[in-house]
Amino acid sequence: MSLEDPDTGAIEPAEETAVGVTDEGLDYDALADLLGDRLLDREEHVNAEGFVVRPDEVRSVLFDLRDEAGFDHLSCVTAQEYDDRYESLYHLKKYGAPTQELSVVVPTAKDEPVSESANPVYRTADWHEREAYDLVGVEYEDHPDLRRILLPETWQGHPLGQDFDGEEPQIVTLREHANPLQEDHRGDDADTMFVNIGPHHPATHGVLHLKTVLDGEQVADVDPDIGYLHRCEEQMCQQSTYRHQIMPYPDRWDYISAGILNEWAYARAAEDLAGIDVPEYAQIIRTMSAELCRIAAHLLAMGTFALDVYGDFTAIFMYAVQDRERVQKILEDLTGQRLMFNYLRLGGVAWDIPEPREEFFEKTRDLLDDMPERLAEYHDLVTSNEIFQLRCVDTGVLPPEEAKSFGATGPVARGSGIDYDLRRDDPYGHYDQLDWDVITEEGCDNYARVLVRLREVEQSARIIEQCVDLLEDWPEDEREIQANVPRTLRPDPDTEVYRAVEAAKGELGIYMRSDGTDQPARFKIRSPCFSNLQTLPVMSEGEYIPDMIASLGSLDIVLGEVDR
Amino acid sequence: MIPLQSATPLPSAIAELLGLDPSNPAVLFVLAFVAAGAIVSVMLGMTAVLGIWGKRKITAAFTDRIAVNRHGPFGLLIIPADAVRLLSKELIVPEGVDRPAWDLAPLVVASSALLGFAVIPFGNGVQIADPEIGLAYVLATASIASLGLLMAGYASNNKYSFLGGLRAVAQNLAYEIPLVLTAASVVIFAGSLQLSTIVASQSETLVSLGGVAIPSWYAFVNPFAFVLFMAANLAEVGRNPFDIPEAPTEIVAGYQTEYSSVYFVLIYLGEFIHIFLGGAIVATIFLGGGAGPVLPGIVWFFIKMTAVYLFTQWARSAVPRLRIDQLIEIGWKGMLVLSFANLVLTAVIVGVIQ
Amino acid sequence: MIGILKSMATTMKHALDGKTFTVEYPEDEPEVSPRFRGVHKFSQERCIWCRQCENVCPNNTIQIVTDEQRNGEQYNLHIGQCIYCRLCEEVCPVDAIILTQNFEWTADTKDEFALDMEQLKNVPWYKDIDPLESREPDRGVWIGEGEGEVDYQ
Repeated sequence: MSLEDPDTGAIEPAEETAVGVTDEGLDYDALADLLGDRLLDREEHVNAEGFVVRPDEVRSVLFDLRDEAGFDHLSCVTAQEYDDRYESLYHLKKYGAPTQELSVVVPTAKDEPVSESANPVYRTADWHEREAYDLVGVEYEDHPDLRRILLPETWQGHPLGQDFDGEEPQIVTLREHANPLQEDHRGDDADTMFVNIGPHHPATHGVLHLKTVLDGEQVADVDPDIGYLHRCEEQMCQQSTYRHQIMPYPDRWDYISAGILNEWAYARAAEDLAGIDVPEYAQIIRTMSAELCRIAAHLLAMGTFALDVYGDFTAIFMYAVQDRERVQKILEDLTGQRLMFNYLRLGGVAWDIPEPREEFFEKTRDLLDDMPERLAEYHDLVTSNEIFQLRCVDTGVLPPEEAKSFGATGPVARGSGIDYDLRRDDPYGHYDQLDWDVITEEGCDNYARVLVRLREVEQSARIIEQCVDLLEDWPEDEREIQANVPRTLRPDPDTEVYRAVEAAKGELGIYMRSDGTDQPARFKIRSPCFSNLQTLPVMSEGEYIPDMIASLGSLDIVLGEVDR
Repeated sequence: MIPLQSATPLPSAIAELLGLDPSNPAVLFVLAFVAAGAIVSVMLGMTAVLGIWGKRKITAAFTDRIAVNRHGPFGLLIIPADAVRLLSKELIVPEGVDRPAWDLAPLVVASSALLGFAVIPFGNGVQIADPEIGLAYVLATASIASLGLLMAGYASNNKYSFLGGLRAVAQNLAYEIPLVLTAASVVIFAGSLQLSTIVASQSETLVSLGGVAIPSWYAFVNPFAFVLFMAANLAEVGRNPFDIPEAPTEIVAGYQTEYSSVYFVLIYLGEFIHIFLGGAIVATIFLGGGAGPVLPGIVWFFIKMTAVYLFTQWARSAVPRLRIDQLIEIGWKGMLVLSFANLVLTAVIVGVIQ
Repeated sequence: MIGILKSMATTMKHALDGKTFTVEYPEDEPEVSPRFRGVHKFSQERCIWCRQCENVCPNNTIQIVTDEQRNGEQYNLHIGQCIYCRLCEEVCPVDAIILTQNFEWTADTKDEFALDMEQLKNVPWYKDIDPLESREPDRGVWIGEGEGEVDYQ
């Protein structure tokens, strides 16, 4: 896909030798020494320091930080426009220790917003920078393929730029719009075939368009084309108040029952931004409901994957939906909705456990008690089926180095043997006080990813069980579900925070910058599906079409989250 | 006891029933159409019941649902409703289709499967014709469908259809040979290609277990060949795990992507009749044709046919689809070898016994 | 082979146990949880026209028109635009707006989803469930208890 061959060489974790790692955590001074003159300024962000560097030294700085200091995970790229400059932020983390964070801030001039691309260092920067270019207008030098990604090719202006006028009609005529179906490989000497898989295709799980070049039955090249479901979620959040209005939106990013996990991403970031403490009791409820969501999401992921591999509307999908339905009933009792929960609040949750509490706990326990049996059935149906194994083992292989370079997280990374789970590594909620395991599989293939999801359901059930025990014994007069939060929240101006949680699909991060009003000045969503989807070409090039479809299914993308 | 097979084919039987002279070629010619029309109507009826209503109910049972129950008793009126719906849709002819081939393909698919029923002995003497090469004829006509699929895929001017058509041909080539070879092992047992003879040779008792006589159906005589034939038959009719030519999640609907309205109905019909024909062949050469206790032979025959259909639906609920290269590999490297082994073994055993 | 047979046995078990999970909807009205958020109900008598619901609504579903003395004239709510987040109910200090369990709402055109005060008042309860019963214990966390008897009709 990329024109250049980016340096994806083995990224050395180099834990012992990594610069700046001390027993207490990250020593930013040592990192500053590493950069030397290239460091212009240091900014204080909520979780991490921001190192300001020159736009033409981005690459060398990032190379040093990756190879010398062990920052092997480019979590997110945020671009934003200030009154006097553009800024690109590279949120760096480590797969081995995600709490060690660093932001690289790259200011660029207003009249010539050009900065160096990070693509050779982290391949995930490809799409992230394209998005930054598309929405904000920062241009990245030496980027292999700097095109618009979410908006149509012919879009006029950059919607998150300051001078963008949303009222102004787009003046491009219909004729000038690029026709995605026009491209065709009909050259005389072509022995490949161009096929548009999607945007309306039974297996793309939404409106995803894969520009695929086939060599017979094999995939020679695949280029995911996204943006069909772009709903300006970031802009909407920027026009909503912290206290109330943003919370309903996260439910609509990953709308496959993972709502509370998404809400938690916003809640965590906003609580860090405003310094809100959440009562312990509310944290346990959050943990429980989030894991219920995870079960529902993973079951559906497994079901739709079976749909892709098995063919028609198969029994497995319906069984998975039935089990998910039970989870949703419980969540409906708790939150009042089946998918769009809007349950978390800054500083707590909206409701306590519904009365009568015993009934709710009993229902949840019933679900958990049945879970081993149900999972055994799924293993009978799916993972132990020889044809399924034939189809999934050693297909869609994603080596761990590639996964890291593309910023893959969640079950996709864990299926490639990367032991990375923010619930454990960057603890939040009540996870660190509960007894559960992070699941990893070494297979790196479609089978491993399915297995990870099924086994994570087991772990989620364990977590829920412990939460239910805790909630049941919680003294009645200490059931505080909501901290005291002012009705209108105005965080200090120019506070910046980037915080992530482990959502169903992986690391869901939120970057927010406050400007003293009750609305965020910049709201950026780091969606796990967005990064995970980038690995599709690696997994499927050279494979057969059915394997590409299976790989796509095993990535478990939700277009609502990819396009936002 | 009612003879399971009569020596007289169906047109002659009808002629005798009507008091006409069966030796008059003109009478036979006309009555052959009548008989064929009757069989075709029965097949269409079966497709209507099992393809429209039964399929939904069966799938629903596997997936814990109820399925159609709003249209009449047990939702049976969905059949006319669906027929009207399908036929009244607009027939969309996409730009750039290869006209005669594109139009003929549905006809080829539907009619080739129907042709096979000409020689199937349904029991109780219902059989249109009983040529000596019956088995060869039925297998030959059944495989004409691949031509129809290729025509449909190639003429549709659609890349998915194209892939589907090619897949269909590759698959049918790979599985036709094991199918024929396995059927040939039955021929060695029976000593004839004539279907009525094959059925008749299965009427003896194989063993008697505690008073229950197990007939010498070739499924019991040679279960290995039966399993092989069932697998090859699944591939031949393109059902899970071999529904690769359609593969909805990969290539949308394969060769039938561009078909709508009546053409779609014809292809859909052809597919179902193909499954029934497969079932009829299995019933004839492995399950003793119309043999069975109490009920008349023709009922047993339809029960057996439906059982094979149910099996395809069952497989559909639980067996993943293979990948095309794996399918070809299994076909040429596995099934072919096994069916040759089966043929040779059968030949040796039959030779030793006699 | 064993795995395939196990899979097939599992689906056959499901086919034969006769259990179904389909809800035959119009005849068989589904149970909804007491907290379920459906179509709004509005009480003009209770409303103090403070406009908090209008302000909090994330997507401008609620439109309030008042005269110069801040007396309410109109209260319009476009339920086709609503995302059922329940924030309006949450911020209302007097329980003048509440989300019923009623999820059954159809109309021929989009415009018919814009409900005015009178229509909002006449929204029927779903199965006569008063959602406030389930919500009362939690409301104190958010707002002071509404005074007086609750009477929406």
